[in-house]
Amino acid sequence: MIRLESVSKVFKGDVTALREASAEIQRGEFVFLVGPSGSGKSTFIRLLNREEVADSGRIMVAGKDLGSLSSWRVPYLRRNIGCIFQDYKLLSKKTVWENVAFGLEVIGRPRPVIKRQVTAILELVGLSRKADRIPDELSGGEQQRVSIARAFVNRPLILLADEPTGNLDPTTSVGIMRLLDRINRSGTTVVMATHDRGIVDTMRRRVIELDRGVIVRDESRGVYD
Amino acid sequence: MIYRIWYFIRETVVSLWRNLSLTLAAILTVGISLSLVGTSLLVREGADRATAQFQEGVEFIVFMNADHTPDQDAAIRQVLDTSPAISRYAYIDKLAAYEEFQVLFVDKPDLIESVTPDVMPPSYRIVPSDPDAANVAELARQFSTQPGVREVATATDAIRQIEDFSTRVSQVLLVAAVVLVAVSAMLILNTVFTAIGARREEIEVMKLVGATNWFVRIPFMLEGMIHGLIGAGLAIPSLFVVENEVLSFFQESDVVPLFRGFAVPDGFVWNTSLWLLLLGGVIGMLGSAIAVTRYLDV
Ligand SMILES: Nc1ncnc2c1ncn2[C@@H]1O[C@H](COP(=O)(O)OP(=O)(O)OP(=O)(O)O)[C@@H](O)[C@H]1O
Ligand SMILES: [Mg+2]
Repeated sequence: MIRLESVSKVFKGDVTALREASAEIQRGEFVFLVGPSGSGKSTFIRLLNREEVADSGRIMVAGKDLGSLSSWRVPYLRRNIGCIFQDYKLLSKKTVWENVAFGLEVIGRPRPVIKRQVTAILELVGLSRKADRIPDELSGGEQQRVSIARAFVNRPLILLADEPTGNLDPTTSVGIMRLLDRINRSGTTVVMATHDRGIVDTMRRRVIELDRGVIVRDESRGVYD
Repeated sequence: MIYRIWYFIRETVVSLWRNLSLTLAAILTVGISLSLVGTSLLVREGADRATAQFQEGVEFIVFMNADHTPDQDAAIRQVLDTSPAISRYAYIDKLAAYEEFQVLFVDKPDLIESVTPDVMPPSYRIVPSDPDAANVAELARQFSTQPGVREVATATDAIRQIEDFSTRVSQVLLVAAVVLVAVSAMLILNTVFTAIGARREEIEVMKLVGATNWFVRIPFMLEGMIHGLIGAGLAIPSLFVVENEVLSFFQESDVVPLFRGFAVPDGFVWNTSLWLLLLGGVIGMLGSAIAVTRYLDV
């Protein structure tokens, strides 16, 4: 599903965010990316949905070589990849329903399909009764559920999560992780960058550890340290 | 497909509304600049027609005083009939001149009422054997010294005057129009840029979920195009005002024979209107295309 072969990424100012990183992630895996701040976790994730382009090496995602992917194909790649973030990236003037529907609307889905899928996904994340609220009227955990709904409504092959529990208290985080676990069990590959030791240690999934851009550990059923 | 069209329309309207003051400024500027473009085209067309009429056989016109004596008239006729320099001529008497005047100003009854056949200057329309400009000028000079002659209008003079006039007017208008067209394109660029800024977050999400580049761009392009089209829509009525007020003002001026043809057919005004719409649309597209490619790195 995802393969990196000696991938390096250097930002201007000579910051090496990723150095000769290689890894292979199978369909349906759940992978934690851990490591200190500035170690390259976000860069790793941004390379996978081609928000950044690698300087060297090869990246394969969902059967496509990102290095030779022409830019007009990038949107179609991204339709197979859901993304969630620490800051949710919800549109503050739209309701929960509209936020989720927006993701389908802008890829040209017909309205009846949107209606059906949004109803189903809000059910899945447990927000059916808050469909008409705007993000400001929701708790952080609920907002993250909305963003998960938007990322997953199109049933992507891959879900990328950059510190999704970074702004949440431990109890709420557990709820979010249950949701992500459920999504993963439905066959979606999940790659999640996190600083949350508790989550990594209780879930016991594959752990890739980065240190100054280098993969220093890659363990199946690993722990945070 | 229908859902996409609906989406584009909705997003465009929302964006136009959100940006109302800039939108209005852009639309008005487009309207003013296209009015100038249109006026310049009308003046040019009017002048072409006026001179074309005069060219139907090179001629010069000897206007007699309304109160000239029969002797003076006979003397002129004598010259016209005998001079080898004159090929033929037509005499337009007071009544004929009055009738022509009536036809010309059929839509201005008060103007017609203010004159009588008595005050109309009779005239000779003359076709010289040699249409060379210097020759015509010499003949005109000779006739103008004859007693009883009010003035001599040569076709060459008239054509040159009208051409000079129309060239100057339409050039000034055109320069102003070009400057304003550039200004309006920049205003549209700015408006679309502001619209893009107002939707940074939405655009980020759109890219994230895999909206195509064109899907992101189209509402902004449409927005620019609508500025241009509405602006052109505002300019079109001004064409009819120019046709009805300005051009007819020239027709009424006392140099009646010179500006007789200074009119454009209705069809020309409609044609020009279509061109203005097209131009407006293109200006809008151009302004927004620049904004979109420069500020929307999709
Ligand atoms: N757009 C950019 N331009 C320049 N440097 C960048 C850019 N993005 C990241 N970097 C640098 O690359 C390195 C890795 O950054 P990255 O964001 O991937 O780290 P991270 O592991 O996600 O950190 P954190 O845990 O704090 O989120 C850092 O030194 C960072 O300053
Ligand atoms: Mg990060």
